[in-house]
Parts: sequence; C-alpha cells; structure tokens
Amino acid sequence: MFTGYNTKKRVNERYKIVGFISSGTYGRVYKAMGKNGRTGEFAIKKFKPDKEGELQYSGISQSAIREMALCTELAHPNVVHTVEIILEEKCIFIVFEYAEHDLLQIIHHHNQPPRQAIPARTIKSILHQLLLGLVYLHRNWVMHRDLKPANIMVTSKGKVKIGDLGLARLFYKPLHSLFTGDKVVVTIWYRAPELLLGSRHYTPAVDLWAVGCIFAELLSLRPIFKGEEAKMDNKKQVPFQRNQMQKIVEIMGMPSKDRWPLLTSMPEYGQLSSLAAGNARFHRPQGLENWYQMCLKNNQYPPAGSSPENPGSEGFSLLQQLLEYDPQKRLTAEQALQHPYFSVHGKPSENCFEDSKINYPIRRVSQEDNDIRTSSLPGTKRSGLPDDSLIGRPAKRLKEV
Amino acid sequence: MTSTYWESTQRKFWTFTKQQLALERKKIEEAERNLVNLYPLPDKRHLSIYFYHQLSKMARPLGIRQQALATAQVYVRRFYTKVEIRRTNPALVLATALYLACKMEECPQHIRMVLAEARHCWDTSFNDISKIGECEFTLISEMNSQLIIHHPYRSLAELQTHFQLTQEENALAWSIINDHYLTDLPLLLSPHEIAITAIFLAVVLKPTQGGLQVNAAGVANALQALGNARATNGQGTQNRVQKLVDWMAESNIDIECVVECTQELISLYEIWENYTDKACKEPIAKFVKARGLDK
Repeated sequence: MFTGYNTKKRVNERYKIVGFISSGTYGRVYKAMGKNGRTGEFAIKKFKPDKEGELQYSGISQSAIREMALCTELAHPNVVHTVEIILEEKCIFIVFEYAEHDLLQIIHHHNQPPRQAIPARTIKSILHQLLLGLVYLHRNWVMHRDLKPANIMVTSKGKVKIGDLGLARLFYKPLHSLFTGDKVVVTIWYRAPELLLGSRHYTPAVDLWAVGCIFAELLSLRPIFKGEEAKMDNKKQVPFQRNQMQKIVEIMGMPSKDRWPLLTSMPEYGQLSSLAAGNARFHRPQGLENWYQMCLKNNQYPPAGSSPENPGSEGFSLLQQLLEYDPQKRLTAEQALQHPYFSVHGKPSENCFEDSKINYPIRRVSQEDNDIRTSSLPGTKRSGLPDDSLIGRPAKRLKEV
Repeated sequence: MTSTYWESTQRKFWTFTKQQLALERKKIEEAERNLVNLYPLPDKRHLSIYFYHQLSKMARPLGIRQQALATAQVYVRRFYTKVEIRRTNPALVLATALYLACKMEECPQHIRMVLAEARHCWDTSFNDISKIGECEFTLISEMNSQLIIHHPYRSLAELQTHFQLTQEENALAWSIINDHYLTDLPLLLSPHEIAITAIFLAVVLKPTQGGLQVNAAGVANALQALGNARATNGQGTQNRVQKLVDWMAESNIDIECVVECTQELISLYEIWENYTDKACKEPIAKFVKARGLDK
C-alpha cells in the first residue's frame, strides 16, 4: 500500500555504530563498522530534523536536499566518497567512506609540544590533492563554499578528500542570485574579501581564497586571518565583518582600485575607508612576503635554496596568487595546479604521508552516544566533542534563512 | 556540452532505450495485474498531458519557474517507471515532485504553500504537510537520491548564438523543449539531442508566420525538410537547415535521434488536439477513492 513510506534499508541492520565523532548545525556524525557482509569503516552523518524532536514529516531542508543530490552525483578520488543514503523513518543518513584524519586535527597535532612544522612535502601533496578535488568540483559546476581545515579529510593512506558538501551549490544559471537563500557562507577566517565586502555575484574564486588561507595555515600552524565574527543583529541584518577585513588588510594592505577594478562597486566598499582611519598598521601593512618569511623562520624550515624541505619562493608565489584580492585575477583551481610550485621538485606525492615519520593520532570518538536511531536530540551537543576539536574556533556558519 | 552530463546519474541510470522503458513498465503492470484490470486508465500520453496541466495549475499562482516545473515533470515520469500509478495518489505525487523540484532548482517554496495549491486544484482530502513530507521520502528513495536534472534549456542557450537564432526562433525552440516533457523523450535522449531538435524545428517552422502554436502537420512538414537537407547534402538550398545538419554530423549527433524526437513530438501534438482533462480526471479519482489512497 502507498499509505506510507516504507524503509527499504535500515541503518542498524547494515552498520554497527562504534562512536560519536562530532555535531554541528546540520546534525551528528558517527563512526561505524560495516555489518552483515559489509566490511570497513564508515562515517555516517545523521541530519537533524528542522525542529528538534520532530515526530512528523515536515519536509527536508534545502541544504540537506542539495547535499544528498551532490553526494550522489559526484565521484572523484579527492572528494569524500558517498557509499549510500538511507532514508529511514523520518531520518536521513548519508554514509561516507571513513577518513582517519582531517587537516584541523593534523595542524593541531603539530601545534602540540614539541611544536614542529608540517613537512614541506606533506603540505605540497595535501595542496595538490586538494586542488585536484577542487578542479573536479568546479568542472562540474559545484562551488564548495565552506572549505576549511576541518572539512578536508585525510585517510590513513595519505589521500586527501574534500568533505562536507552541506553548503555546496551548483553555480551555472542559478534561478536566483546566489546571494539569496543562504545569507552567509564560509567560516569567517576563510571567507574571501569579495564576500566580506557584500558581493552578490560571487564565483568559484571564493573556494580558491579559502585554499590560500588553508595553505598559509598549514605553513604557520595558525589561521592567517583570525578575525572575530560580528554577529547578526536583531534586525537579521548581515553585519559588515569589520574585524575579519582588518586582519586581512593588516597583512595584505588595502585593496586598491588599480589592482581590483570592481572594488568600488562592492556594496560594503564605503566601510573599507572607515576601516583605515586612525589605524597605522593599514598604512604600513606587514606584507604577505614578510609574513611568509617570518613564518618559515619561526617554524624552522631548513634554509631556502633548492631543497624540497622548504616551500621556497614558488610556495610564496602560489600563496600570493591565491590570496589575490580581485576574484577575477585570483588563480582558478586549474591554473593553481599548473603553478611551478608543484613541479619544481618533481611531482607531488600521491600519499601526503610519504617519507614522513610523524605518527598522527587516530580520530577520537566518544562512546557516550552510540545509538544512531534513537539518540534523543540529534544535533544537540549533549555529549561528545565540540564542533571543532580546537577551542576558539568561530561558529561554523549561520543557519540558512 | 560540458563533461557533466556524460558522467551524470541521469545518463547512467535514467536514460533508457524504448525497449528498456517498455520492459520496465510491463514488469510493473504484470506485478499489479489485478489492479490494472480493475481500474482501466487512458493512454499514458493522455495522463502526461493531464499531469502537466495539474502541475501548471499548482505552479502558476506560486510563480514557479519553467525549469522547476520541468524538473517536477521528470521526477513524476521517473517515479512512475518504478511504481505502479494505481498504488499511488497522483495528486500527492505531483505536489511532492513540485515541492522537491523547487528546492533542487534553487527556488524553494514553503511546504504549506504547495499543500494549499494542491488542495485548491485537486478535489482531494489530504490536508497535512506530513503527507507531502512523507511522500518526499518515497520519491527520493525511488530515485536513489539522483535528483540533479540536466535540461535542454542550457544546451539551447549555448547553441542559440552559434546558429544565430532570432528571438522568435529561440522562443519557439524553448516552447518545444517545454512540450517534450509531456513525452518519454526526457528518459530516452540526451539534453543536447533534444535541444538540437528543438532548434531545428524552430528554424524550419519559421515562427514569425505561425506564431508559437506548433501542430502535428507543421512538424511533419519539418521532418520532410530534414529528409531533403540530408539528401541534397551541401547544395546550399536551405542554408540554415543545412548548417544544422552539417553541425550534427560534425558533432556526432545521430540524426536518427532528431527524427525519433520529431516523431514523438508529432504524436504528442496529434493527441493533444483531441485531449480533454475529464478523460483522465475521472478514472484517476475512481481508483484513488476506491482504494482510499487519499486518506
């Protein structure tokens, strides 16, 4: 009878939940083992219903629909593989391949005493694989829109996988301007300047800015532009992210009309000049090159020269072209892959841990909540780890409007 | 064409040959022999027209765009290749397909609005958003979450400058693409094959003379013109038609697809001329009521 939805697959018949990994605005992620003939480890994302404790079907959120459709459509070695999607009694589960690490966790490990830099080869391989995945997404008209270390997975075999397509969107011929729908995208530290300046027609270039920020963070082990997020006010107006913009300008200097012709047509352009008033550092910015040299020195990379143990001048050149203010001048993912940085010491390794002697800890999972079907309030942080395992990370994203 | 379509789930899982499609449908019918005999329904093509009318009625007051409507039509057609219609409440399936399509095409509608429009245009008693929410699970599950639809509109937009279509021709090609969703063509051909057929018909049918009304006889004549263009091969008598034919040869588009597509459209327009909603509405209402599918 068609009187109701009949679940064909049941999550508990197919997987054994071994622990809880994380939670966010979208729901919760669990680690699981295959069961009844299925082998291997998996990460299962359970979407929370629109309202907590929803007992009735109320329609699936648009972002969940997007993620389900994109995960089903996409297949690339550097994009997290979706094993299956299970719709079971008002709940949605997306089953992903399991990745033991992610960039946030790797950066965190290197920050632990004795603090040590991430080997230059590892960084190069990570970046190369990340860009391969991004080229694939962009060729398929998918913008990720939320690239950050926590969303970049790394398997124990050193394969980098772009994860969390929860904010991703198709960008060809959008029916509405991409600005409508979700008002704010991309975790603030990785947010491109055109977004900070209120651009309504942004492009895949926002993902390349984020790649630049991630590159810088892998080198320095700290977010390069660590701004404080201005919260939405009562009128639900999206505020100008003054502090974040300041952090960028302190290193990069003020964007100029010469280098970025469309700058003056940005909705928040007026805010930019007020930013400069009375702040000496704006007129004497650190400069990206100084930042880069300081960073290599502080993290004790071996002296520059032609050593593959040093990211070198090619690394700086790539970083500079990724952190380009003008989105039209910023490298595309394809151009970035062609950059000499990736060819100067032979091909980057396909395993980012190759020749690395560092042992990364395995992903922590919590045992407090192992019942994926009945966990009382999906998405609430009743137990387990916070959203990101480093304290002081900003809120991931604002809820879709 | 971008590489996107070639690796898409649409091409891999939702494009069939005519034989495959007939077989799939026969399988469902065989499995539901009793129901099928008990509740006769009009020709499938009549049902397609009826569904289109009902979807449009819901979509219009909500200002839903054509592309979302087209996506909903494809969802409905996919769904009914897997589920026997007499086991469903078509009013609910259509409303849900529209609701889901709007989200996928980035023009979301509130579930309550869709419910209200559905109630308005069907004499139906489902009165609860949870019905649509639940049916959404069924739709997505039957479609294996393969929700991204590649439409010929994009191919048309890419090709219109290449063939220097006039505004009228472009509008006519667009409306022919709209019409093809009333047939099985979206499950049989690729979006660019549909688009090129629509362009070809638009060029041959000379919209300035005939307005945007396409009819079976006109399209049949167009098919004749295609045959001539192939036979004269490079004689330059019909410049633009020739250009289209040459372009198809160069881009490895099987001209038989265009012929097949045109014939399918001819038969749609023929049927449309004698179509009435009543012939579909009553038999559907009958099985829905009798089986309590609206509860």
